[in-house]
Amino acid sequence: MDKRLDFIFKRRSIRRFEPQPVEGDKVQALLEAAMAAPSAANRQPWKFVVVTRRELLDQLASVHPYAKMLGEATLCIAVCGEPAVSLASSEGDRFWVQDCSAAMQNLLLAAANLGLGSVWLGVHPTRQREDEIREVLGLPDNIIPLGIAAMGYPAEEKPAQTRYDETRVHREIYGGENPACPR
Amino acid sequence: MNTSLDFIFRRRSVRKFTQQLVEEDKIRAILEAAMAAPSSGNRRPWYFVVVQDRGLLIQMAEAHPNGKMLAEAPLALVACAQEDLSPGAWVQDCSAALENIFLAAPALELGGVWLGVWPRIERVQAISKILDLPENLAPLGIAALGYPRETPPPRTQFDENRVIWR
Repeated sequence: MDKRLDFIFKRRSIRRFEPQPVEGDKVQALLEAAMAAPSAANRQPWKFVVVTRRELLDQLASVHPYAKMLGEATLCIAVCGEPAVSLASSEGDRFWVQDCSAAMQNLLLAAANLGLGSVWLGVHPTRQREDEIREVLGLPDNIIPLGIAAMGYPAEEKPAQTRYDETRVHREIYGGENPACPR
Repeated sequence: MNTSLDFIFRRRSVRKFTQQLVEEDKIRAILEAAMAAPSSGNRRPWYFVVVQDRGLLIQMAEAHPNGKMLAEAPLALVACAQEDLSPGAWVQDCSAALENIFLAAPALELGGVWLGVWPRIERVQAISKILDLPENLAPLGIAALGYPRETPPPRTQFDENRVIWR
């Protein structure tokens, strides 16, 4: 792993958190990082719901099947899409998912580089999860929760990592210099 | 902007490149960064086609309406997904991997721009044909990469109207 890219490799999914709250200036930095992501035609079809209230974090933990750690996290940011703002496509309006995913990834990398831990909890496209989270957060119907970043000061440590796999790399065309990959 | 996050703010879309080829060790580092992205259930539905052949780059430049710079770029990484490996989440997983590519680039003195392919069906078909992709792989997006001939300043587009406090 190239040391110059440690800021990427150090991001690991962290599910245990200390009770210490995340400072306001770090929340601001996280949001600035998220909104530095690219978006199709620069539409920025995103909204960020910042949740620090204990009872809301607990409610989110109870409606999402893999979100128990929100009972311990001191902060979460729900990354939401506003499809109407997104670059439209003739047969479906889906660039917002890519735009919001890039913003989410920025958020997670920013957290790791501010001394925080985080984990991405998937919401979209499971309709029931979207509806339940929209209800807990009091969001209008035109806002779709893509995912939730559970965050806080980490209570577990994991080493830097890549999951590089050469069988996933093809040269020039599919199968190029990679005969191990069956069609 | 918090200086410890400069690596994020330095990512800007770069569409002009020098002729200099991208070294193999940098291509490897970028791919390691891409595959350090999280994925739903750790299913890693991604594949990456590394394109340096001028003829193929020109074909992609002609096939993509916003892809003119590919005719000059020394490198394109095409992020593809095996959709059946992660039916609900492959778009999100591969988008996170692509974003890692663009964040890695400036740290290696490179620059690049994200060219959207999926879900525009005509782009998906054209790129699949050029790269000889099998039926079960979908090209999500293309990273055009190279040594930059333009250096836009670091920025965020932070907008408080896009933040909801709860």
